[in-house]
Amino acid sequence: MTRGVRAAEWVVLYALSIVVALAISSVIVEATGGDWWPVLEALVDGSIKAPGRWGETLGVAAPLLLVALGTVISAKAGLINIGQEGQLLMGAAFAVYFSFRIGGPGPLNVVLLLLFGALGGAVWASAAGLLRYWRGVPEVLSTLLLVFVAIQAVGYGLKWQWLLLADEASRGNRNLVSEQLAKNNRIPRPDIFGNEFPVTVYVALALALAVAYVLARTVWGFRLRMLGHNPRAAQRSGVSSTVYGATALAIGGAFAGLAGAAMFAGGGFSFGNYRLVPGFSDNIGWTGLLVALMARERALPAVVAAFVFAMLRTGAGFVNSTGVESRITDVVQGLLVLALLVPPAVVFLRDRRRARAAATERV
Amino acid sequence: MTDATTEMTGAGGPDPSAPAVELAGITKRFGGIVACDQVDLTLHRGRVHGILGENGAGKSTLMKVLIGLVLPDAGSIRIDGQPRTIHDPLAAAALGIAMVHQHFSLVDQLTVWENVALGEEGRLKSAGVRDRVAAISRQYGLEIDPDARVGDLTAGLRQRVEIIKCLRRDPHILVFDEPTSVLTPEESEQLFGTLREVVAAEDRAVVLVSHKLDEVLHATDEITIMRQGRVVDRRPTSDADARSLARAMVGREVSLRSERAAFGLAEIEEADREREAELQDQQPAQSLDTDGPVLRIEGVTVQGRGGARLLDDISLDLRAGEIVGVAGVEGNGQRVLGDLLSSLIPLDAGRVVVNDSEVRSGAPGAMAKAGIGVIPEDRHDSGVVLDMTVAENLLLVDPHRVARHGVMDKGQVIETAQQMIEEFDIGCSGPDAPLWSLSGGNQQRVVLARELAAEPDVLVAAQPTRGLDVGAIEYMTDRLRRTAVDGVAVLLISSELEEILDLSDRIVVMSRGRIVGELSHDDANLETLGLLMGGSEG
Repeated sequence: MTRGVRAAEWVVLYALSIVVALAISSVIVEATGGDWWPVLEALVDGSIKAPGRWGETLGVAAPLLLVALGTVISAKAGLINIGQEGQLLMGAAFAVYFSFRIGGPGPLNVVLLLLFGALGGAVWASAAGLLRYWRGVPEVLSTLLLVFVAIQAVGYGLKWQWLLLADEASRGNRNLVSEQLAKNNRIPRPDIFGNEFPVTVYVALALALAVAYVLARTVWGFRLRMLGHNPRAAQRSGVSSTVYGATALAIGGAFAGLAGAAMFAGGGFSFGNYRLVPGFSDNIGWTGLLVALMARERALPAVVAAFVFAMLRTGAGFVNSTGVESRITDVVQGLLVLALLVPPAVVFLRDRRRARAAATERV
Repeated sequence: MTDATTEMTGAGGPDPSAPAVELAGITKRFGGIVACDQVDLTLHRGRVHGILGENGAGKSTLMKVLIGLVLPDAGSIRIDGQPRTIHDPLAAAALGIAMVHQHFSLVDQLTVWENVALGEEGRLKSAGVRDRVAAISRQYGLEIDPDARVGDLTAGLRQRVEIIKCLRRDPHILVFDEPTSVLTPEESEQLFGTLREVVAAEDRAVVLVSHKLDEVLHATDEITIMRQGRVVDRRPTSDADARSLARAMVGREVSLRSERAAFGLAEIEEADREREAELQDQQPAQSLDTDGPVLRIEGVTVQGRGGARLLDDISLDLRAGEIVGVAGVEGNGQRVLGDLLSSLIPLDAGRVVVNDSEVRSGAPGAMAKAGIGVIPEDRHDSGVVLDMTVAENLLLVDPHRVARHGVMDKGQVIETAQQMIEEFDIGCSGPDAPLWSLSGGNQQRVVLARELAAEPDVLVAAQPTRGLDVGAIEYMTDRLRRTAVDGVAVLLISSELEEILDLSDRIVVMSRGRIVGELSHDDANLETLGLLMGGSEG
C-alpha cells in the first residue's frame, strides 16, 4: 500500500470515529438537559482558542509526551509497563526531596532536580524489572500494583518533615503538603505571544526526536526492537533479555519520573502550584499511556497524540463552567478518548490479520 | 445432539460381529500434497493395532480423520458395521472414539480432577469426578493423586491424566498418537502394560501410532505400515521382525553414488580443491587448525521438565570441512541439540568446546560468538524476526559490522544487504521489505546468507530443506556442500534419510536423546539407519 493511501485512510478513520463520538456526546448532553453547542465551544476555547490557552495546553502536553516516550521504549522491548502514574509520582517525590533536603548550587539546581526526578522514576520501574527478571513476576502486574504502593509511600513521606512535609510555617492550614519551590529554582516559563509555558516543552520535543533516532538508527535500538519482536532470535543473536529488558524498563520509568519532576518545577495547569500534594500526578501517567497507545508506540507520532490529549484536558476545564453536570462532561471526555484510540486499534488488528494470513500462506 | 447420534437410530443398529472400525479408500489432500492416498484400515475389538511410519507418512492425518479433526476428500468410515460421517470430535466422542494426543491438552494451573472434568457440561460435582478418577486409576493401575496440580507433574503422569480423561468417557476405540515420545523407557513400559489391560479386559480396540520399531513389535497384535500416504504393508506382529519393518518403513534403497554425480559435485570438488590448495600455500598456519576437531560436544546432558533427559550424555566431534549428519526420527533430541547450539538453553552436564575453548551454554549469543552458525529447524522461532526488514534480518547477529560508535550507517546497511540479496539470490522487493512478505524459501535464504556471512567455523543446519520446493532444496544442498568444502564443519540435523545419506561424510543416529550409533558414509544405508532410528539394537 502506498503512503498516500495510508495517510488518507488514517484521516478517514479518525474523522469517522470522532464524528461518531461527538454525535453520541451531543445526544447525551441534550438528553440530560444540557446544551450541546456551548460544550463544544468551551472545549475549543479552553484548549486553543482563548488567550493563553495554547501555552497551557503545551504545558500539559510536555509531561504527557515524556510519559509516552518512556512507554514507547519499554514497549519496543516487548514489555508492558503500565505503572507510569506511580513512576511519575515517585519522580516528583525524588525531585521534591532533592529540592528541599539536598539542594544544588544555584542555576544547576533545576537540572539536578529534573535528573533526580528521572532517577526516582527509574528506581520505581526497576523494582518491577527486578521482580520480572529475578522472580519471573509479569511486569504488567508489578508495574500496575506499584502505582498504589507509590501513592501510599508518597503519602507517608508527606507526613514527615524530614522527608517531604513542609515545616509548620509554610504549611498553612494544609496537612499533607511539601514546601513551595522557590521562584529562582523553578523551570523558566517565557512568554511567547501571550502564551506561557515551561521550557521543558522543548526538552520533551528534543527527547522525542532523540528516542526516534535511537530506536531506528542505533545498534542498541536495533537490538531492543529485536528483543521485542522475537525474544528467542534475540537470545540467539546475543541480546540478553535481562540486561536489555531491565534497562528498557528503567528508562521508561526515568521518563515518567522526569515528567513528574517537570510538573513539579514547571508549574501551570493544576500541577500542585510548585508543591507536592497527594493526588499530584493527576492521571498524567495513565493518560500518557493512552498517548503512547494512540501513537501506536512510536516516538514522533506521540508528539501529536500528546498535544491532542492535552487539548482534551485543558478544554475540559472550560467545559465545566458551561453548567453541564461534571459527570456528563466526564462521559463526553471518555467518548472522545475512545474515539482517539479506536483507529490505531482497528489498523493494528487488520495489519496483524494480514501478516498472519501472509505468513500462513507462505509456510 | 450431533449428527452421529441421530444417524445411530438409522438402519439396523450396531452389528456385534463387525470390526470396530473399517476405513476404506480414505484420501486426503492438502494443497498439492497427498497426505493419505486410498488408505484402508480395519480395527478389531480386543486387539492392539500398530500403525508404523516415518514423519509425514500420513499416520496422523489418518487418525485425525477417525477422530473428526479432518474431513477426508474420499473414502468411507464404518463403525461397528454402520456407515458413519464424522464431522467433528464431538461426533467421534459420541461414537465412542477417543484419542490420547501426542501433545497434551491439559491446563497446567488446574488439578488432575479438574482437568478430567474439563469439557463436561452441566453442574460440576467435584466428589463424583474425584471418585471416578480414583476408580479408573485403581482399575488400570494408573496411580495418580486427583488433587495434584497438573503443572507439577512429570510428562509420564500428565499422560496418565490424558488417558484417564479418555477412559472416563468409556470409549470403544482408543487411539494413542506417538504416546512414548515424551516418556522415559520405564514410563513407556508401564504404559504398554496399561494398554494391554484396556484391550484384554474390556474388549476395546486400540490403535498405537508410532515410528519406533521395538515398541510396535512389543506392544501390538497387528501392524499397518505407511509410507508417503499409502499403506505399504500390513501383517500380524508375530510375522514381523525389526529388519523387515525398517525396510518397509523407509522404502527403497537409493543409489547414493549416482545422486552425488547428478548434483555435479565432482566438478565443484575439483575446483574447490584447487582453491583450497592455493589458500594453504598462502597461509600454512591455517592447516594446523583443521587437524583437531573444531567443535567438541562432550558428554552433554540436558534435562527437561520433570527430569526427563532430552539429551543424554551426547558426545560428538566435528572436524573442519566435514559434514556430519544427525539422523533420527523427530522428537528424539535433535531440536534440543539445535537449541543448545543456538544458546537458547543451558546444559545440565558436559561441555561444548569450539576451537579448544569452552563455550558458556545458554548465555545470550555465546555460541554465535564462538563461531557456530545455525540454520534453525523452525526459522520463525529463532531464525528470523518476521516484523523486521530483510536488511535488518541479515544483520541480526552482527549489527556492529555496519555501525560506528553504536550508530548504524544506513547507507552501509542497505549496501551490505543488497550485496547479500544478490549473492544469495533472495527474492524480495528490496532490503526494506518486511521479512514476512517473503516466501519460505527466500526466508530460508536470508537465514543462510546471514549465517554464512558471519564466517562461522561450524554450521548447524537443522531440517534445512523442510517445506522447500525442489529448486530451493537443490540450492540449499549445494550451498551446504560448498560450505563444507570451504573448510566449515557442518552438522546436518535432518529426519530426511535421503538428505543425510546424500550429504554426510559421517552419520550419527539419535534416539531418545542419545546417540545410538555412528556410521561412516560408506557403511550407511537406509536399512541400517532405519533400524537404529527405530531404537532397535538388532
